[in-house]
Amino acid sequence: MNKNTSANKSKGNLGSFLRRSSVPIMFIIICAFCIPLSGLSPSYLVNEIVTRMGRNAFLILSLLIPIMAGMGLNFGMTLGAMAGQIGLILASDWQIVGIPGMVLAAIISVPISILLGLFCGKILNMAKGREMITSYIMSFFINGVYQLVVLYLMGSVIPIAHSTIKLPRGYGIRNTVSLLAMRQHLDNLIPLTIKGVKIPVATFLVIALLCVFIIWFRRTKLGQDMRAVGQDMEVARDAGIKVERTRIIAIVISTILAGIGMIIYLQNMGNIATYSSHSQIGMFCIAALLVGGASVDKASIGNVFLGVILFHLMFIVAPRAGAAITGDSMIGEYFRVFVSYAVITIALIMYETNKRREKSRNSEQLQQAQQEEENR
Amino acid sequence: MNTDKKEKGRIGQFIESFGLPRLIITAFLLLLLILAPFVGADLPTQITNIIARFSWNGILVLAMVPMVHSGCGLNFGLPLGIISGLLGATLSIEFGFTGGLSFVMAILIATPFALVLGSGYGWLLNKIKGGEMMIATYVGFSSVSFMCMMWLVLPYKSPNMVWGLSGKGLRTTISLEGYYIDTLARFLRIRIGNLEIPTGTILFFALLAFLMWAFLHTKTGTAMTAVGSNPTFAKAAGINVDKIRLLSVVMSTWLAAVGILVYEQGFGFVQLYMAPFYMALPAVSAILIGGATVNKATIMNVIIGTILYQGIVTMTPTVMNNMVHMDMSEVIRIIASQGMILYALTRKTEGAK
Amino acid sequence: MKSKMRLLIRLIAIAAVICIAAWMFVIGRGHTVYFDNKTLTTEDGTVYEAPYQIQVFVNDESMGKLKEGDRGMASTMGQDFKMVLHITPEKDAKKTGSAVTLKLPYSMDGIIINLPALLGGAPEEVYREEFIPAAPEGDEEDVEITEGFEMPLEDE
Repeated sequence: MNKNTSANKSKGNLGSFLRRSSVPIMFIIICAFCIPLSGLSPSYLVNEIVTRMGRNAFLILSLLIPIMAGMGLNFGMTLGAMAGQIGLILASDWQIVGIPGMVLAAIISVPISILLGLFCGKILNMAKGREMITSYIMSFFINGVYQLVVLYLMGSVIPIAHSTIKLPRGYGIRNTVSLLAMRQHLDNLIPLTIKGVKIPVATFLVIALLCVFIIWFRRTKLGQDMRAVGQDMEVARDAGIKVERTRIIAIVISTILAGIGMIIYLQNMGNIATYSSHSQIGMFCIAALLVGGASVDKASIGNVFLGVILFHLMFIVAPRAGAAITGDSMIGEYFRVFVSYAVITIALIMYETNKRREKSRNSEQLQQAQQEEENR
Repeated sequence: MNTDKKEKGRIGQFIESFGLPRLIITAFLLLLLILAPFVGADLPTQITNIIARFSWNGILVLAMVPMVHSGCGLNFGLPLGIISGLLGATLSIEFGFTGGLSFVMAILIATPFALVLGSGYGWLLNKIKGGEMMIATYVGFSSVSFMCMMWLVLPYKSPNMVWGLSGKGLRTTISLEGYYIDTLARFLRIRIGNLEIPTGTILFFALLAFLMWAFLHTKTGTAMTAVGSNPTFAKAAGINVDKIRLLSVVMSTWLAAVGILVYEQGFGFVQLYMAPFYMALPAVSAILIGGATVNKATIMNVIIGTILYQGIVTMTPTVMNNMVHMDMSEVIRIIASQGMILYALTRKTEGAK
Repeated sequence: MKSKMRLLIRLIAIAAVICIAAWMFVIGRGHTVYFDNKTLTTEDGTVYEAPYQIQVFVNDESMGKLKEGDRGMASTMGQDFKMVLHITPEKDAKKTGSAVTLKLPYSMDGIIINLPALLGGAPEEVYREEFIPAAPEGDEEDVEITEGFEMPLEDE
């Protein structure tokens, strides 16, 4: 019996390995097909990927901890992104520039992130089993609040001095806020160019630091608790873990990291699209993580980096490849959006079917055990 | 005396079943209606707008009912049904139907699409019980973005629909002038001064709502409710749970297809590409405002919810703009309607999933 | 005892973060400095004659060679502003170098410095002036309010 299950398990591992890698493999095929068609030079692509790695990796890493705690893909990371944007808007209005400006923006964003994270975590605890859709609607809800703050309260209640940031009507923030004074200051802090590829060393160092933090965090008591909660809430509760508190902490950490990640993202971009920068982030990051081979209940740091490479490669080459095939660049643009959504859909479906399969297997085992008990 | 007591009990019950958030929203809408004349808005025009918007949106909200009943939750995958409707609309125009006939044909053509897509969608949702809402959302998104490509690629020829310059690819908005604009609304239209009632559209909605109500009282209909409220019990009672759920999804998809066509006939345009993207959200919040929960919805919820939601959508901008000269209405509406969905998602649902 | 310790640590951490924030305010304040190489006549009739050319270096980077009547510009961070000036009094004359350190006022975003006056040893009020930018074009922007999140069609 015991032997049997272990054999089953190893077989399951191979199967699940293939299942897990099916998305990355599919993307490798898409990229291999599209790159020659796009006609983009390898050096251009490498440059782009390195830039986007620095830009996005921190944000995507912020998704890992809620996955560990069994809360699925944190669509509520957008909350942190909004907090980061508020920090940046204020810092640039106060004319704090360069790295100090980024640090200040991060310091402003953290308390906002904590508050939003607490709120989000509390709500998610009330909606157990539906965390993802709830965090998803949560991001829309807070987006409404964000627009209320940025469009109506900033300039009227929250003082905004500079007319370059404020709308001419006297309140509200403009559609774009320039971050020229911070633009790529972190990326260029330690300049390094290898064979024409510009490498944002300092940004990578920050990302590496976060990776180390995540690895360390997994080994702490809290990290272990989170994993236990992720595996089985009831068992964890019986073991004396404060389930609700642990889950809230997971969301708070994720939100804070997303806020800082957004600041790194925007310093690379060089401006804030006040009303849309944060809106794309959620989908970009989640799709990239899934493309990297992560699933709703399991994700590693490796998935993040593989995901950035594959997803963004597809994103760069798809429109040009589409234009080359059909003569219409719009098709390629729609195609990449479709693929992004399809990837998320497929990942969600696989997660749910696996969950059901496991559930039925567990109940079967339980039944079997009961029968054995009776037979004895 | 006796009836009086009964009335009172009824009112108390009514408030209880109505729920506090709805009460606040109703009070808010009434306040807006009272304020409207004082800030210089013409009340009959406002009421006309509310009724018109109710008639456009009613069926889209009604489409939520079957899936809620069968325990599939809120149908965030509404765009899938809308796409069937859009296919019906564009094909009907492409085949050269005009006037009222184009509306009938649009419904007829949309039906097979809705049945096929709905079946596939229902089959999928049966595979992933418990995670319906999130997957529904993304099925909706995927299908909308897929159709974005298709609108460009499909060989539509009608000069009224394709881009004039290149002669291929559908336009983002297609005027229904000469097709089925106001087809239903024109029927028995009542005009009293500034007040206008699109009787036909309302009758059409009433017909579908009545059919839905009648269906829910048939054997299959009660089985559907049973599946939604207690699937284990339903299974034990010999009901084929998967089949009932599939039926509810198909019904919901078909209603969404018809719903968008009715919406278009009132609005006057077919909107393609990104337009269906977020059409599920207003419908979802409308039915929730009407008092539905994630696994309970009645026709009354649909009617009340649509009136309240559309009432707020039409009234807040006018009143707000005139009162504070700061148009925060849109943002407030977003916060209120998303908050409503959030509230519903956090409610404990009866019966284990 | 343990909880007291914890509270203390938290308070210290918060205080430290606030200190960092304050420090960032001090070192991170950005200014735009404009250099004028223009002849300046003060109210009391003192004339600071502009030389033929001044080359301005900030952080070892040339901010341009300013002929008489020209204006240069540099973005800086913090209140301590250092620059090196290479002054050519007359055409084909020999350059003289001069390092200048200035304290910039925190409240001013843009600062105009009249270099001849500065080099001539004029007081602060004379050589320094606040730069007030013209208000940007008064077109009202339309801000689109979003219900949900639009499909990310554009590249990042």
